[in-house]
Amino acid sequence: MSLPSGHTMGHTDQVAQRRARCSDIYQRRLSSRSEKVNPGIHSSSHQQQDGEAAMHGAHMDSSVRYTPYAISPYNRKGSFRKQDQTHVNMEREQKPPQRRMEGNMPDGTLGSWFKITVPFGIKYNEKWLLNLIRNECSVPFIPVEFHYENMHASFFVENASIAYALKNVSGKIWDEDNEKISIFVNPAGIPHFAQKELKSEKVEKIKLAMNQQCDVSQEALDIQRLPFYPDMMTRDTKMASNPGKCMAASLHVHEENIPMVMSAVGMDKWKGTEPGEKCADRSPVCTTFSDNSSNINSILELFPKLLCLDGQQSPRPTLCGTEAHKTLPTCKGSFFGSEMLKNLVLQFLQQYYLIYDSGDRQGLLSAYHDEACFSLSIPFNPEDSAPSSLCKYFKDSRNIKILKDPYLKGELLRHTKRDIVDSLSALPKTQHDLSSFLVDMWCQTEWMLCFSVNGVFKEVEGQSQGSVLAFTRTFIATPGSSSSLCIVNDKLFVWDTSHQGTQSALFTLVPTAFSSVPAFSQEQQKMVQVFSVQSGMNY
Amino acid sequence: MRKCRSHWSQGDRERHQRRSYYYEGPHTSHSSCGGRTREEVVTPPLPEHAAVGSPMAMSVDFKTYVDQACRAAEEFVNIYYETMDKRRRALTRLYLDKATLIWNGNAVSGLDALNNFFDTLPSSEFQVNMLDCQPVHEQATQSQTTVLVVTSGTVKFDGNKQHYFNQNFLLTAQSTPNNTVWKIASDCFRFQDWSSS
Repeated sequence: MSLPSGHTMGHTDQVAQRRARCSDIYQRRLSSRSEKVNPGIHSSSHQQQDGEAAMHGAHMDSSVRYTPYAISPYNRKGSFRKQDQTHVNMEREQKPPQRRMEGNMPDGTLGSWFKITVPFGIKYNEKWLLNLIRNECSVPFIPVEFHYENMHASFFVENASIAYALKNVSGKIWDEDNEKISIFVNPAGIPHFAQKELKSEKVEKIKLAMNQQCDVSQEALDIQRLPFYPDMMTRDTKMASNPGKCMAASLHVHEENIPMVMSAVGMDKWKGTEPGEKCADRSPVCTTFSDNSSNINSILELFPKLLCLDGQQSPRPTLCGTEAHKTLPTCKGSFFGSEMLKNLVLQFLQQYYLIYDSGDRQGLLSAYHDEACFSLSIPFNPEDSAPSSLCKYFKDSRNIKILKDPYLKGELLRHTKRDIVDSLSALPKTQHDLSSFLVDMWCQTEWMLCFSVNGVFKEVEGQSQGSVLAFTRTFIATPGSSSSLCIVNDKLFVWDTSHQGTQSALFTLVPTAFSSVPAFSQEQQKMVQVFSVQSGMNY
Repeated sequence: MRKCRSHWSQGDRERHQRRSYYYEGPHTSHSSCGGRTREEVVTPPLPEHAAVGSPMAMSVDFKTYVDQACRAAEEFVNIYYETMDKRRRALTRLYLDKATLIWNGNAVSGLDALNNFFDTLPSSEFQVNMLDCQPVHEQATQSQTTVLVVTSGTVKFDGNKQHYFNQNFLLTAQSTPNNTVWKIASDCFRFQDWSSS
C-alpha cells in the first residue's frame, strides 16, 4: 500500500488523503483511550503472585517465567488502584537495549517479552503497518496486543531474537510521505496503561527521589535520538547508587511533575500553546482539529512542543533518564595499527623532536617532502582577554572558521619544505616531553601513514619560560629514504591547559606511547625496511 | 517543511536538484526548502589538473587545491556537527563504507560498526571553535583528492561533563561530471582531557 517514492498526487487528492488520515487517527485515539485497563499484561501482578520472586528483567536470565497474559487474582475488574505496583522491580542496571538483547540471544530465551513501538504509529493503519514491517523483517513474528498509545503504535513479541530482527527493520521502511519509519524495541515492563493508576505512597517517594537525582536540563527532546522507549522503573535504592546518572523512569510516574513527551497529563503545562499556530507548519494532520476546542488536548498530545523533530528551540526539561544507559566508551591510550608501524612512528617522533628541540630546526629539512604543507592554530576563545604564553603563536595561527581574508588563508598555509622549516624556526624554542606523548595512528595505506600526537612541551626561553603548553600534531607521511618517514602534511594545534586545570593530567598516570620503547635496535631497523619494501619503494 | 516537500511533484524535485549544481559555492542537498532527505557535502566539480611538472601548473594547482580544500572543509564541518547533534542516525552517510574512526583510542571500522557506535553515543552538543584544513599531497593519496580537516572546540554529551575535543578527518572527493561529493575516509577524535574523563 505504500506508494513508491516519487509518486505524484494532485493537491486535492492529498487533502482528501490527509482528512481521511486525520479521522483515522482520531478514531484510533478514541478507542485506545476508552479501553479499560487491560487485564492482560501484568508483570507486576505476577510478581505479587510469586511473592518475593524478583524479576530480573523480562529478558535476562529470568528464572521466573514471565507470563504477561495470565490474569492474576489481584487484577480483576481493573482493581489496580489497590495494588502496590511499585513492588515490581527492574533490579538490573540500565544497559543499552542492544546489549541486553544480544545477551539474550545465545540463550534463545523464550518467554521474554519485548514491546515494539513505532513512534507516530498512530498515523498508520494497523494492517498496513504490520505488513510493511513483515515484508522487511527477516523473521516471521506474531504481534500481540497491537494498540495505539498517545501518538504511537505498539505491540508485543515474545522472543528476543524476533525483537532483535524487528529492531533491524528500523529506518528501513518508509511511509507514504517518504518518511522513514523507526522501530523502537524495549524489554516489556510495566505497561503504560497499568501505571496510570499508581497512587501509592511509594510512588510519591520514588518521584521525590527521581526529582532529586534527575538532571533536568533545558533541552529539546529530539525524538529521532530516542534510543528506546523508556518503559522501566527502578527502585530508589538503585538511584542512590548512581547519583550521577538519571534513571530511566516510567513516563507516567513523571507525568504530574514534569511534562514529558507523549504524556497524557502533561499537556496541562502547555496550555499556552496555540494549536493552530503550532501545527500549521508542522503537519497536515492537525488542520482538521484546529477549530475544535474540545480536541485541543488531543492536538497538544499529538504535537507537543517538546517534540522537536527538526532540532528547533524548545525549552523543555529532558525526558530524564532517556539516555541514562548511554555511557561514553572508555577513553584509551595510544592506538597503533601494528607493532611494526608503532615502532616506525615512535622512532620517527624521537628523531623529529630531538632536532625540533635542539635549537636549530634546519635539520628538519630532510624530514619534509619538497611540496609539503604546514599550518598551525591556537584556540579561539572569545573569553581570553589576558595575554598568555600562546600569544607568540598567534600571528601564525590559521583558523579558517574566523579567518576570512583569502590572502592570509593562503599565506598561513606554509608550502614547500623551505618555507616550512623557516616558519618552524621562527617559533619559540621548546622542550617536548616524550613521555607524555599519546599517539593515534588513524589512517594507514600502502602509500601513507596518518597519525596524531598529543602531548606537552615547555617553553625554554623568553617571557613565558617554563610554562607548559599542550599540543596535538597531525602528520601525514609517506615512506621516505633511509627507512624513515617523509612528511607531506603537518598540522600543529597548540593550546594552554591552565584554564582547563588539566595541565599535568594528561601525562602523569597514564602509560603513554614512549613508556616502553627501547633504544633503536637492529630489529627495528629491519622492520622499517620491511615497510619501505612493502610500499614498493626501493632504497 | 514537510508540507513544502509533499507539495512538490517529482518534476519539481528534479529541477531543484539540477539548479543547485550551478551554484557557485558549496551547498548541501538538504539545505533548501524541503526535508532532509540526504546528508551530503557537495561542491562544484573538480577542476582539470594542469600538466604536472611545470612550475606554473604546480602553483596554479596548489592554490586551487587550497581553495577547494577550504570550501569543502567549511561546508563539511557545518554539516557534520549539525548532523551529529540533531540527526545522529544520518551521520554515517557522511562516511565511506570502509571508513575508520579512532574515538579516544577506540577503533571503529566500517559502516555497520560506525552505525552501532554512533547509536550508543549519548546525544551531543558540539561547539566548534577552530577549523583548519590542508590539501593532502597526491603522493600520499595516489591522486585521490583528499583534504585533511582539523577541528577543535567543546562538546557536551548528555549525562557527562563538557569536554574540549580535537578531531581530525580525512575527506576524500568522489567526483562526478556535475559535482564532487566529499566523504570521510578516516576520523580521529580525542578529548583534550581524555585521561581524566
